[in-house]
Amino acid sequence: MNKYALFLGCTTPTKVPQYELASRWVCKYFGIELMDIEDFVCCGINQVNLSIEAGLLMAAMNLALAEAKELDILTLCAACTGALAEAIERLKDDTIKDRVNEKLRDVGLEYKGKTKVKHISRVLYEDIGVEKIKKEVKKDLSDFRVAPHYGCHYLRPMSAFEGFEEPDNPKSLHKLISATGAQPVGYETLNLCCGGKSFPVSEDLARLLVQKKLDDLADKEIDAMVLQCQTCYLMYSDQQKEINEKYGRQYNLPVILYPQLLGLALDADPIKDLGLDLHTISLDKILAKQA
Amino acid sequence: MNKGKHTFEFKKPVSTSEFDPNFKSEVLAYPDAQGLNACFSCGSCSAGCPIHEVFPEYNPKKLAKMVRLGMRKEILSSPYIWYCATCRNCVERCPQNVKFFNVLNVLKNMAAREGYAPLAWVQQAKQVMATGIVFATEEEWLKKREKLALPSLKEGQQRFKKIIEQTGIDKIKPRIGTE
Repeated sequence: MNKYALFLGCTTPTKVPQYELASRWVCKYFGIELMDIEDFVCCGINQVNLSIEAGLLMAAMNLALAEAKELDILTLCAACTGALAEAIERLKDDTIKDRVNEKLRDVGLEYKGKTKVKHISRVLYEDIGVEKIKKEVKKDLSDFRVAPHYGCHYLRPMSAFEGFEEPDNPKSLHKLISATGAQPVGYETLNLCCGGKSFPVSEDLARLLVQKKLDDLADKEIDAMVLQCQTCYLMYSDQQKEINEKYGRQYNLPVILYPQLLGLALDADPIKDLGLDLHTISLDKILAKQA
Repeated sequence: MNKGKHTFEFKKPVSTSEFDPNFKSEVLAYPDAQGLNACFSCGSCSAGCPIHEVFPEYNPKKLAKMVRLGMRKEILSSPYIWYCATCRNCVERCPQNVKFFNVLNVLKNMAAREGYAPLAWVQQAKQVMATGIVFATEEEWLKKREKLALPSLKEGQQRFKKIIEQTGIDKIKPRIGTE
């Protein structure tokens, strides 16, 4: 039995609950037990803009909370994954760890360095494996052509992920998609950032990055993009709509999160279990195709 | 795209007499910026930067050079340093392990203390202090969660506040003119 502390982050549980819903469903299906720790706070990733120390302390506090329960962390957001993994890397330095623990002790916590962090896709890839996933598939999705998008913090810096992926030539999400029966499609801007972390400061620039990828995908005859981060999701869905309205474009590319695609293949209820009705860009075409 | 918001330009040319000869050592005193010592200006950071590609004025290699020249005011007051998408391509592709992203965070932290922080990040820091997450919870979200039978969310983490307050993040003021 695999057991993890579920780290929801800020954005998934508030703005993209369908990602959480589908992730919980998929984990339950494969016997991955998720523990909710209600004292978890923001991972600290944006706080480093103003204070590197504040960001590190927030990450360390979350790690310590999971460690107190002797659990590793399962994340949904690529950025939370990166923030926590980079903090673990930093805290390998005893001088930094001692300094951080001195502050954590004030609130009855300590991080010893045991708790690790894994994104849900990596858990599915490593703990469950593509072969097991393939065996469980119940619906034929072979007509689906989809474009994978990894999310920057899922890949970089490589040093924080024990060499799990090759950042310039990633494969795990491609393989996870293939395991569901759907076809992952290759495209030039695969590693282009969604711009989500520039968005709060410069919306126009961030939207330029979104458009670049959507333009690249325009002639690829795909049914959807497959994502594994809710910030990427918001950029490619809500901002896709915003770009259409603001700049008079006509993009209409559905986006879906990996656990939702996997859930479809496993014959989960598209609405009740996966929340496919909650998407900004309608998934009706996809739903019709798989029905 | 409306580029009206991006009209700020570095003053150029700047006379060398206006450089701050201590700026480089001031920056390098931060452990996160020490990689800069090894930079030989190859430009791998800029070549792989998605923001530089769509907005050439944001230029990691140029910023690294400006630090070493001592262009303190030009860097810290520049709105561009906040445009980074945090993708870490610059970290991954640098042959000298400079970790420009980390250097940039040092510059942003310094700029923030000197009154140049963008309103968005100041507001977000305040929000985190209040609720533990980057948003104020909206009634609509909670209702949606309830409908989906997802667990309720806990807000207002007092013990975490106690640690984070010591960093002074909640005292940072936004850039004048944006507050």
